[in-house]
Order: sequence, then C-alpha cells, then structure tokens
Amino acid sequence: MDNEKIKNIVKDASDAGKKTLSEPVAKEILRLSSISVPIFCVVQDMEDAVKNAEEIGYPVVLKIISPDIVHKSDMHGVSVGIKNSGELEEKMSFMILAVADESPTACIEGFIIEKMAPNGVEVIVGVVKDEQFGPVVMFGLGGAAVELMKDVAFRLAPVDKNEAVEMMREVKGYPLLAGFRGSSAKDIEAVADVIVKLAGMISETDGIKEFEINPLIVHEHGVVAVDARAVLESPGQIKAA
Amino acid sequence: MLQSGMTEKSDRKKEMTRVSKPDFFFSPRTVAIVGATPVKGRISNIILESLRRIGFPGRVFPVNPKYSSIEGMDCYPSLTDIKEEVDVAVFAVPAALTPGLIRDARDDIKGAVVISGGFAEAGAEGITLENELRGLSSSVRIIGPNCMGIYDTVSRLDTFFISFERIKRPQKGRLSIISQSGSFAVTAMDELAAEGIGVARVVSYGNKADMNEADCLEFLADDEHTGAVAVYIESVSDGRRFVAAAAACSAKKPVLAIKVGKTAEAAGAARSHTGAIAGRYEVYRAAFKKAGIIELGGYEDFISACKAYGMGLPSARGRRVMIITDGGGIGVALADACAWARLQAAPLPKELHDEMKKTVPSYFAVSNPMDLTGSATDGLFADSLEKTMAGDHYDIAIVAPMWGPPALSDNLPKLIADKARKSGKPVIICTPGGEFTRSRMELFRKQGLPVFLTPESAVKAAMVLADGKITQRAPV
Repeated sequence: MDNEKIKNIVKDASDAGKKTLSEPVAKEILRLSSISVPIFCVVQDMEDAVKNAEEIGYPVVLKIISPDIVHKSDMHGVSVGIKNSGELEEKMSFMILAVADESPTACIEGFIIEKMAPNGVEVIVGVVKDEQFGPVVMFGLGGAAVELMKDVAFRLAPVDKNEAVEMMREVKGYPLLAGFRGSSAKDIEAVADVIVKLAGMISETDGIKEFEINPLIVHEHGVVAVDARAVLESPGQIKAA
Repeated sequence: MLQSGMTEKSDRKKEMTRVSKPDFFFSPRTVAIVGATPVKGRISNIILESLRRIGFPGRVFPVNPKYSSIEGMDCYPSLTDIKEEVDVAVFAVPAALTPGLIRDARDDIKGAVVISGGFAEAGAEGITLENELRGLSSSVRIIGPNCMGIYDTVSRLDTFFISFERIKRPQKGRLSIISQSGSFAVTAMDELAAEGIGVARVVSYGNKADMNEADCLEFLADDEHTGAVAVYIESVSDGRRFVAAAAACSAKKPVLAIKVGKTAEAAGAARSHTGAIAGRYEVYRAAFKKAGIIELGGYEDFISACKAYGMGLPSARGRRVMIITDGGGIGVALADACAWARLQAAPLPKELHDEMKKTVPSYFAVSNPMDLTGSATDGLFADSLEKTMAGDHYDIAIVAPMWGPPALSDNLPKLIADKARKSGKPVIICTPGGEFTRSRMELFRKQGLPVFLTPESAVKAAMVLADGKITQRAPV
C-alpha cells in the first residue's frame, strides 16, 4: 500500500473542494492499496471511446463519471456487456440522452471504458468512519439489494485476516461463496485480503469518511473491484495526523 | 466566597488527583452528605438511612448550615469545616448550586457523587452547569450528575436514594453492574435481591460529566471482588477508550453489555450503502466484538445473564449442553432453544449411553434431552446429572424438574446442587409452572442454583455462560 500517494490524492481532492471521489480516482486508491481493479480508461468522446475499447478488448463496460450521480445504474449511467464498436456507439448515445433526461443539471466529467469482468459472486466491502468508534468495516453479499437485505457484518477497523474470515462466515449468504448446491467454492482468502486492506487503508488515511467497493466480484481464483465510491470528510472533520 | 487565595492549594491537589486513579470511590473512609436533612423521605435523608442500613464502616459527615446535628451525628456548615479529608462527598442539592459548592470544596474532597438532576438532560442552562462540573473534574473526580451513585457491598457504601421498603438491596456477591441509567440499575438490583443473587459494586453514573464506563471498567478489571461485569449502555463517551478498557477487562473476567436505543436512524447524509446501513447499533455490535463483550439483546437477557453470573457459576468450557427433565415437551423446547442459541444438545456418546442404561430403569429411553418421565425420583435426577456431567462429554447442564411426579421431594434441589458442585460445571435450573412450582424456586436459590421459569430464559443464561469463556482475543 502506497500511503503517501493515497494521502496526496485525498488532500488534492479535498483542497479542490470535492465532497466525493470519482470512480477513476477511487480505483486509483484501490490500485495503490494493492486491490485488483479491471483495466479501464477515461474517455471524453465517442472517437476516444471506440479507440480505447479496441485496445482494452471487448466485451467492455461503459460508465458515466459525474459527481452529481450517486447511484449510476439507477440513472442509466452503466451499460455492461458491450461486444463491439457499433454497440458501444449506440449505448453511449443512449446514455448521454438518458442522463440528460434524468438529471439535466448533472456535471459530466467523462466516461469509463472498462474491461468486462467475468461473472462471479458479487459482494460488497465498505468502510465508514463512525463519530464515536472511528473506522468500521462492513462485508456483505450482493450488489444493489444489500440495503434491503442487510445481510452484512461489521467490525471495528483495522482487522486481521481471522476477523475478516469470521465476518464473512457471519452473513447468511456465506454458502454462496463457500460453494452451494454444486456451485464452485470462491476465493475466500482473496476477499479476506480485500477486507483487511480496505480496513487498513481507512484507518491510516485522514480525510475519507466512507469508501465502498460495490460490487467486488469474487471468482474461483481472485477478486476484482468493478465499482468503487468514496465520500470525503468535510474539511472541518479532518483531524491533524 | 473562599475562592481567592486558594489557587496554589488547588494546583497541588490537581496534580495529586490526576495521578491517582478514581479507585478511592470503591474504598472510601469518609463520606459527606451535602444538603443533609433530618426530614424523613427527603433524598439526602434516605441516603443517610441507606448508609446506616448497609453498615458503612467509615465516618459519615452530614453537611448543612441549617442544622448542628442530624440524627445524633454532628452536622457541618460546609465541607471546608470538616477537619478530615473527605473521600466521597454526595451532593443532593439543586443543580444550580452544585458546581459552586464543589469549587469551594475542591481542596477538601477527593470525589463527588452528584445525585441531582437538572444538568445536560434538562436543556441549555443545564448544559452550562454540566460544563462547569466537567471543568472541575481536574481537581475533583465526579460521578454523575443525574445518577444514583454507588451501591457497594465490599466497601459498604450506598448512595442510592430509594428506600429499602421500595427497592431491596442485593447481598454481597461477585457480579458488578455499571449503568448510565439509575432506574435500570435500581430495577436490576431489586430483581437480583428477590432472586437471592449478590453483587459486588453497582455504579450509576448518569450524565458522565467525568467518570464514565471506561473508568469503571478499568477499575473493575483489576478488582478482586468482581467476578463478572454487566454494563447498561445508552451511548459511550469515548468509543476507542471504551473498547480498550472493555477488552482489558474481558481478558480477565466476563463482560456483558446491553445497548439500548438500537433502532435509532443511521447517520444522515450517507452516500454509500455502507454509510446507510451502518446504524448506531451495528457499530456498537462491532465494538462489542472487538472488546470481547457478550452482547445482551434486551432486559430479559440482562437479568438472565446477571442471574447466571451473579450466582457465581463458572463460565462453560464449551457449548455442549445436557438436558435432564421429567417433562418430554419442555425437554424438546429446551433443545430447540439451544439450537437457536448455537448450543449443542448432542446425543450421548456410546460409552456414556451404555452407562446410563445401567443407571435408569430399562424402559427409559436414554437420550438428550434425558426424559425421566413421571417415574422420576430425586435419585434419578441426581444420578443422571452426576453421570452425564462426569468426564468430558458436556460443558453445561440444564435440569428441568416438573413437579408433577409424586416421588419428587423438597430434597431434590440440594441433591442437584451437590452434584453440580462436584462436577465443577455450570448447572442451570428451568422450572416452568404455576403456584406450587414457583413456591419451590426458593429451594433452588437457597442452594445457589440459578432458576428460570421459561426454557428460553434458561437457555439464554446457558448461552452467556458459554460465550463467557475467556479466550485469547485479537489485540485492540
């Protein structure tokens, strides 16, 4: 983990008056924390998008970058499984129109073209700084329904590997990772590693209030963080190191 | 006012008290009651009465300029007029007067118990007064305000201002209770007293202007008179310090806690799922786990846990439960409750099964739950308990005698208690029933056995005894 670089990223964003970090910046923090993210690049226009998608290789995912859109998929800001340039052009045009329609005042900073991750079990790993207890780490099963199901486990951060595994075993959906009804066992060690690293990152980084990987896709071997978001502490909240 | 000219003295005192821990609250030699009165039924008079009843061995100084003596004791016009150093001064005077009185006496007293309400809980003016108190805590350690103070069977101090007629005091025991709520502490004490269960120290610290749960846990961790600690929490003052203090304590003795106000809304303006889900209670649970605290779900759990540990039962070495009953249905209900509580009521291993077959009449089905049926006798209960708890097959026994079978006698509780002691393992009694059954509960209590009316509460007690196993915990 590259502490200094992460601290500088957070400081620059905070100095620039930002309240959140964009997905590419949040993923840069993950990369610096040695948490695996898909190959991606940031593009500004269609021509750029097509050129980069060729280099990355299809299938790709197209995502909008906007500080004003919190839940991208609710706003047609995510398009997955794009197989060729024709489809990319079509999806991108649609996305621009749909977003303009849904949130006309949103500031659009660009688009992400990202290598589509293979299917796996989707989990969420998040950290939040609690006013009373400081950094807390959460693990849960499954993407967007997590707020509904609340099948999650919490620990005070930082945590060690044993605590991380214990957290995973606590959630009801754990058999989906361990292998359920003939499905293969997923890489539990790798998930534990992400929990430990993310909990460590927030414990050592001032200025981040919430940081969340959702989803983290878990394969038989390895994991990949396909989306991430971060909320910064308001400048008054940042304590001197 | 005596304030001017006292700065030097107070500076010296400040250094003294800050280095010394607030342990003196638990072994005071002198206690002053500020605002003492001979008028029966008034708070400060009840406290004088409480001190007399518990037999406080040190000296008591009533303080009130209106009287020269109260109930045969010399009464002092002010704390400053007392010649000896006062370890604990109890303030039951209006909130607005309290900070000034403590300030004037800051060189004469080590600690203050501020019973009075009317501080932060009462609005803006009260917040100002409480901040004044907090400012004084560098020279005088303060418990309260808005609290009951201390009930201590070891030092024999009782500042609780509820009369003995209304609220019974528990005998001496090894359970200590610390509570933000005075009424919760009082109610738990009354329930435990009714169950014949003792306590070591009970502290109600109310608004926590100075002393909080972490200070108490730090003291109780090393207190040889305390075998287990139960904590009632509304909110903690300093999260990480609390976790560190509780972890240090739970490494030495079981720490149980109830957190109320679970359904409070999640922190506002969260933009991530994590932020939206991370309500107060989830974070408290995470903190409890880190600190090795046994979480209690509600009032009933709190009382069940206090009964189990208050009776001085040892923690269980594992989660294997043996159920012995003469009521088949209650036995199954207990087994169901065990499964829910992640306790294992597994069948008897073969060697034990064969041995039991020889012990009981041939028409008995030997299993777990062990159903002694309507043919149950005192002896069958005692033998079954002795044999199943010998060896390393089970960690806890729940014995559930239904009083129907005519052969069961009033000797049963003593026989069970003897075998329980011999086993060195925790044994819990569950006796659901009405008038006759309830009249027999006292027999078990007298034998030092915790007795429960429902399978669920008995199993809850078994669960906390299993959770209380002191193990190596992750560093905080």
